[in-house]
Amino acid sequence: MAVFTSMVYQNEFLAESSTDINAIVRITCAEAGVAGQTGVGDVGEIVIVDTSASMGLVNLQAAKDAAMVALDTIVDGTYFAIIAGNHRAYLAYPRVTSGPGMVRMTPEARAEAKRAVAGFRADGGTAMGSWLLLARSLFASITSLAGKHAILLTDGENHNESATQLENSIRQCLGQFQVDCRGIGIEWQVSEIRKIATALLGTVDMIPTAKDLPIVFQELIARSMGRGVPDAQLRVWVPQNAQILFVRQVSPTVEDLTQRRTPVDALTMSYPTGAWGDEARDYHISVRLPAKAVGTEQLAARVQLATGTAILTQGLVKAKWSANASLTTQISPEVAHYTGQTELASAIQEGLAAHSQGDDRTATQKLGRAAQLAQETGNKEATTRLAKVVDIDDAATGKVTMKKNIDKADEMALDTSSTRTTRIRG
Amino acid sequence: MNIFSRTPGVEWNPQDLDDTQPVATTPANSDSDLMTAYPTNCPACQGELGIDSYCLSCGQKAKSLREHFQITPSDWVAGVCDIGLVHVRNEDAMAGIADGFRAVLVACDGVTTSDDSDVASLAAARTACHFLWSQDPQGTGTLASRTEAVGELLTQAVAEANQEVINQTSPTSLNAAASTIAIAIVDSEAVFCASLGDSRVYWIPDDGEPQLLTKDHSLAQDGIDSGAKREDAEASALAHTITKWLGRDATDIEPYLAWMPVTDPGWILVCTDGLWNYASEPTAIKELVGFLDEPTPLALAQYLVAWANEKGGHDNITVVCARVDAGSPTVTALSEATGVVDSETPTISQVLDEEILEEKPTTRTRPIASSNPPDTDDSTPDDEPTDQGQTPSDTQIDDTGEQIPPVKPADD
Repeated sequence: MAVFTSMVYQNEFLAESSTDINAIVRITCAEAGVAGQTGVGDVGEIVIVDTSASMGLVNLQAAKDAAMVALDTIVDGTYFAIIAGNHRAYLAYPRVTSGPGMVRMTPEARAEAKRAVAGFRADGGTAMGSWLLLARSLFASITSLAGKHAILLTDGENHNESATQLENSIRQCLGQFQVDCRGIGIEWQVSEIRKIATALLGTVDMIPTAKDLPIVFQELIARSMGRGVPDAQLRVWVPQNAQILFVRQVSPTVEDLTQRRTPVDALTMSYPTGAWGDEARDYHISVRLPAKAVGTEQLAARVQLATGTAILTQGLVKAKWSANASLTTQISPEVAHYTGQTELASAIQEGLAAHSQGDDRTATQKLGRAAQLAQETGNKEATTRLAKVVDIDDAATGKVTMKKNIDKADEMALDTSSTRTTRIRG
Repeated sequence: MNIFSRTPGVEWNPQDLDDTQPVATTPANSDSDLMTAYPTNCPACQGELGIDSYCLSCGQKAKSLREHFQITPSDWVAGVCDIGLVHVRNEDAMAGIADGFRAVLVACDGVTTSDDSDVASLAAARTACHFLWSQDPQGTGTLASRTEAVGELLTQAVAEANQEVINQTSPTSLNAAASTIAIAIVDSEAVFCASLGDSRVYWIPDDGEPQLLTKDHSLAQDGIDSGAKREDAEASALAHTITKWLGRDATDIEPYLAWMPVTDPGWILVCTDGLWNYASEPTAIKELVGFLDEPTPLALAQYLVAWANEKGGHDNITVVCARVDAGSPTVTALSEATGVVDSETPTISQVLDEEILEEKPTTRTRPIASSNPPDTDDSTPDDEPTDQGQTPSDTQIDDTGEQIPPVKPADD
């Protein structure tokens, strides 16, 4: 049985007539168990492989190898399916045309599935929305599934669907399953894939070389198999007349959850967090309260993790109005750190977007700010990746110049990793 | 001779902490419930409280009953005891018992620098209150005789409270629990006061001059006695250092005693320094009382506590008050019989002399507090601390080897 705990980091002291309270709530899960084996329902895994013509021989072979490693990693008893996607979506395994679209993993099923994968060939275009909708139907065909996870591999842009079509497909899949997305090569659009991953509570990353693909798939499936808690929600209660300014996951990656709320009752909002393994996630909660008299202490928020109606852990965010300026002017180091990391992610993304539109003035300014924030918050990975796109003249002041010849792969790597945050030291 | 009948029951407010039930002969025990209990509903919005004591609706943190409680033992008596804004523990305590004619009001202030002082103050307040309620000595029937008897009873009550503080607090603590105590027994005939430390009883008449009926046992009071202005003495760094207290290490628990015949309508206020720190002069308190238009006793106590919190709430705050309404026939009759003592502040032994009382004409304009005899020969150095080291051998010796009277450092 998984054990959840929570820690709250904040400065609860508000100056007279101040209204905004910020807190970092760290939720930690231990003893999550193996997915599908914790008595809360079955789990399903779907592997979606791009088989469009652009994959070519090398990438397709790597994708086949990776899919087979994935099949080896899926624990026996887990429901699974394989989708081959180009401008249409094909159910590669199991080969059924109606009824349940997924089968339990067995040694026999694994061998059959591998034969199906071996037969993939590169052909046609790309329509990721259709892949997602097929995955949705397949998951829906197995009613016992509590946990639903897919990995999606692509190498190119979504040529055969409009942005609106893709968005509609994503919307239909919201809350239905989680997707970790991986791009191979440099022809795919980070922003496009990020949309899918963010909406469907997954991660996005690039795979620099084809030979890395199998290990990446193995890790993704292994991590998914380690998520013994198939679905949990973050709940945020705020008092009457209070307002939730934002709710963000800030670690391990920055994900703004503010708009993804569902009301639980008049005072409580629920936000999706997907499946949990043994891990810790940090959330930044910002609440606006009606100002109270100095000396008043109140709760600004109850931050809970819930599965269904069960509350697994709760962190209390407090507010206390004080006339003592030495208390009220302090900023919680955790709040400051993650505020910086969140700004770092936006600065990188906005800088790269400006660069791709030829606006190097904005790009230089944003990436300069990013270099500054990366140094201030001790995010070495970001500094290293930034240094491949800009020459950092002075990190302290944020002075940078765009490199003359930027490797597209470096730019994409900086983009995909921009949301990854570091934990505060100590 | 007591011309009043006693009503058997008292009025209870179910919202309030029911710690004042007049079980007259039972000594008050430490109420472990009060030390940990919470109210059932949010004091701010009446919403349901979560198990973490935060309101499920407005989020306000409910104070535990020990941190904030109210009593309304009768419609003319009420009290509020509050943690204030700065201290982490409410070391003040109060108790009050009343029926339609008589009330016992007690306020205690646990000394912050000592351990268990929250336990000490509550034990003292309850013990003294119950002890005093259980007995109503009339002496030989005259007011003077009664005054003498009540004075002895008050001294006994303080001793009982002291013993209960010792019983309920750690016998080995390096900082022995300690508490002040201020008591008022009020009926339509008179108010009788006792105090030890720096908690006080004020008389705030509707018309006429308000008075501080008690006298602190504190270095500030020593300063005032030596000629300093109250304002200056109470502003000094050591002003709150008290020279008498209840507790295991107390050396002198002889209370200051005073009484006053009740002749005019007004308020008796028993309070701790959490209030009077912001309004020490009787006129300052009267000004505050004057802001309210015929308040209920509870409304007055709540107002004064809220006001002290507005002023900073640097200490725990306790106000127990009783409304004295002269003008009822019985009061008139009695005051005609007893009169008012003169302004020379006669001692209890003086007021014993019925002749003096009966010779005085009744005037209703200036009720005067009497004081205990300053010339009692058994007074300890704490009564009259001096710089000449004229102290008995049981006093503390400081680092310089100079003998100093025992004192309790104050809060803050």
